[in-house]
Amino acid sequence: MGRVLNIAIASVGGQGGLTLSRVLAIAAVLDGYSVRTGETLGMSQRFGSVVSYVRIGDRVFSPTFSDGEADYILGLEIIETVRALRLLKSGGVVIVSDVVKPPISASLSREVYSRSKLLEAIGGSVSTVVVPAQKLAAEVGNPRAANMVVLGVFHRLQSVLSSSSIKKAISEVVPSKWLESSLAAFELGVNYLKT
Amino acid sequence: MVNILKAPEGVRIALMGNEAIARGLVEAGVSVVSGYPGTPSSEVIMTLHEFGVGSEIYVEWAVNERVAFEVAYGASIGGARAAVTMKAPGASVALDPVVSSAYGGVEGGLMILVADDPGPHTTQTEQDDRWLGFLAKLPVLSPSSPQEAKDLTVASLDLSEEVKLPVILRTTTRVNHTVGDVVLGPVRSVKRASAVQRDLPRFVRAGMVWNYERHKWLNNQLNRVEEAFERVSAIRNRVEGSGRVCVVTEGSAYNYVTEVLREVDSEIKVIKLVLLYPPPKKFLRETLSGCEKVLVIEELDPYLEFVTRNILSEVDVNTVIYGKSSGHIPMEGELNTKIVRSALHSTILTERAAREVPRAAELGQLIKVAPRPPPMCPGCPHRNMYVALLLGIARAGYRRSEVPVFGDIGCYALGVQPPLEAIWTEHSMGASISMAMGLKVAGYDKPVVAVIGDSTFFHAGIQPLIEAIHKQVDVLVVIADNSIVAMTGHQSTPAWSALESGRRAKSIDIESLVKTVGVDHVEVVDPYDLDAMVKAFERLLKKPGVRVLISKHPCALVEARAGGLRVRHRVVEDRCTGCLACIRATGCPAIYFDGSKARVDIEDCLGCGLCARFCPYKAIEVVSYG
Repeated sequence: MGRVLNIAIASVGGQGGLTLSRVLAIAAVLDGYSVRTGETLGMSQRFGSVVSYVRIGDRVFSPTFSDGEADYILGLEIIETVRALRLLKSGGVVIVSDVVKPPISASLSREVYSRSKLLEAIGGSVSTVVVPAQKLAAEVGNPRAANMVVLGVFHRLQSVLSSSSIKKAISEVVPSKWLESSLAAFELGVNYLKT
Repeated sequence: MVNILKAPEGVRIALMGNEAIARGLVEAGVSVVSGYPGTPSSEVIMTLHEFGVGSEIYVEWAVNERVAFEVAYGASIGGARAAVTMKAPGASVALDPVVSSAYGGVEGGLMILVADDPGPHTTQTEQDDRWLGFLAKLPVLSPSSPQEAKDLTVASLDLSEEVKLPVILRTTTRVNHTVGDVVLGPVRSVKRASAVQRDLPRFVRAGMVWNYERHKWLNNQLNRVEEAFERVSAIRNRVEGSGRVCVVTEGSAYNYVTEVLREVDSEIKVIKLVLLYPPPKKFLRETLSGCEKVLVIEELDPYLEFVTRNILSEVDVNTVIYGKSSGHIPMEGELNTKIVRSALHSTILTERAAREVPRAAELGQLIKVAPRPPPMCPGCPHRNMYVALLLGIARAGYRRSEVPVFGDIGCYALGVQPPLEAIWTEHSMGASISMAMGLKVAGYDKPVVAVIGDSTFFHAGIQPLIEAIHKQVDVLVVIADNSIVAMTGHQSTPAWSALESGRRAKSIDIESLVKTVGVDHVEVVDPYDLDAMVKAFERLLKKPGVRVLISKHPCALVEARAGGLRVRHRVVEDRCTGCLACIRATGCPAIYFDGSKARVDIEDCLGCGLCARFCPYKAIEVVSYG
């Protein structure tokens, strides 16, 4: 791979954005790539805006990238995905879980975010895959594994990382209790675009 | 799952910077690791706990950073290898013993990890601890990546033993919290205490002649650091590229420089420093000579610029220096490739960008979305405490604007967010009590309140409380006791009797402690009992003296994980009028407005029921949860 693949993960704290970035990093190393992720964590346990940066290539140095440099945005929530769009480069792709979690500040000012308007705003501008990740994850008994469904869709579109390395990485990161359902959620994501 | 502390030499794995530092400590054979939780430093000790280091190594959280340092220093003068971890403000807490330790020096290697936070992402200031070198007269090393963080952890301990001084490993968030590929090194045997010398001039700072002599010894040791560092460290100060146009950089900034220079064809000489203090004069004199133009690229203060300017004043006064003083690199915040690219192109690069810089997507008419600052979690006992406090102030006959609430550092500081906006200050560990006292002794005639968490109270709140009691100042101190250091990732406090390491400990009881030091009134109330809590506030606000209200309920996340959830809540649609009293009273992130009604996200609700109390239409009901 001659260049560096830039991935931004946009989520609400607690949705599994950090887990997703770690899975990508481990899989990248298993496949022999150099990797850097940039995380910000530790300001609250949950429910804040979170952006993780993942960079995969032959030699990677910077853990972050700037506006307009993301090849992919993996969104675990639609509002956070809209917030992160500034990172997307021309021709970049958005994969977003079909979930809206309005922030408190919006509810307090009776501001309403319509799911369809937000999706229109994203999809009208850039290539977008909207995936009912939470619903699919619930089908395998683990609604928290929406991040793994999104990972599956990503893998279907961008095969830089091998499926076996991703699965091994999932088994490194996810507690054994949730492993089987997480792998099943990943497969549902992989197959989502086939159907 | 790979045990990163036990995996063999040569294995290449993805590690976060802090995990790499933990591995480095094991590779270097440390036998004592102490610290106080603080983002972005906490995962070093958490990793040692998670993967288990066996009984040979003592790894525990200390009550605060100065105690942590003193524990490590005591181990080190006995010949053991030791390390201590802290965030930037923690380095200030530890500064007194750290500065003195440069005079006594060490026997076993001693590393001080200080994690700075350009941005800032999670810290009250953008304190630049590279200056600690000059202030404390201790060597400072700076890594750029998780691999360098691991290797320089080992080098810090080797260098420390070599020059007999504690060595500061100074990192930034983009090293501590970056995951990268790391090749593991060999693990050396644990170096424990052997014998402590009874060397009075060395270890007793009460003798002024001794101190003067030790200062000379210290300055002499510092002169040896550059040579010793080059000898013991696998990661050295280095030059990449060549030519008369130069960049001086270090740490995270080096990564952005490297990425941007890959885009251009110009010949640029990059001087990358790893040893930041004492400035490696020999290396800098050699590498800076011949530079006609120098751009210094670094985060926060113009530290390297100061160092570079000093060297160039000896080497070549005609060299043009760009950086912060020239306005090309910002003095605040963290850097990125975009800032570095523009600084390079506006100073020393003459060519146009050779490769095309990525273009941002055309985004049409995008909706501007509301901010999502970090809130208190659903079910958080701190929320109930604040709601009760605000109600209690009214019940006691005061206006909110008359009763200042001094906050402190921890999750409960998130009570500053709307709708509660409960605290008026958040300053430094323990300052809530002393600042409230200060206002009172200055003549403020209405009640003052200090809110401090349990761990912050242990860390730096006990002495302020003693001060307030001793001077008989009227303050109401709320100890928000959730029995854990929650914000930094759920670490133990001195109230725990079974620690992360497996060690049995003697639990320190906050109620007995405050009674022992002579508080006038103490009450312990569970904030989940909101009525009792409001009454307690009303009662205590009217009383004189030092009053302590211990608001005691476990962190809701821990409670949910430990006990499982029995109930959650939902909104009954036909009863909800969309008045949003539930959201305005609590600010709970599990509740949101859907355009006409309130809704509870059942996945997020932790079942505390605070919202239901404030619904005038009884529209929020309990659902049992399997």
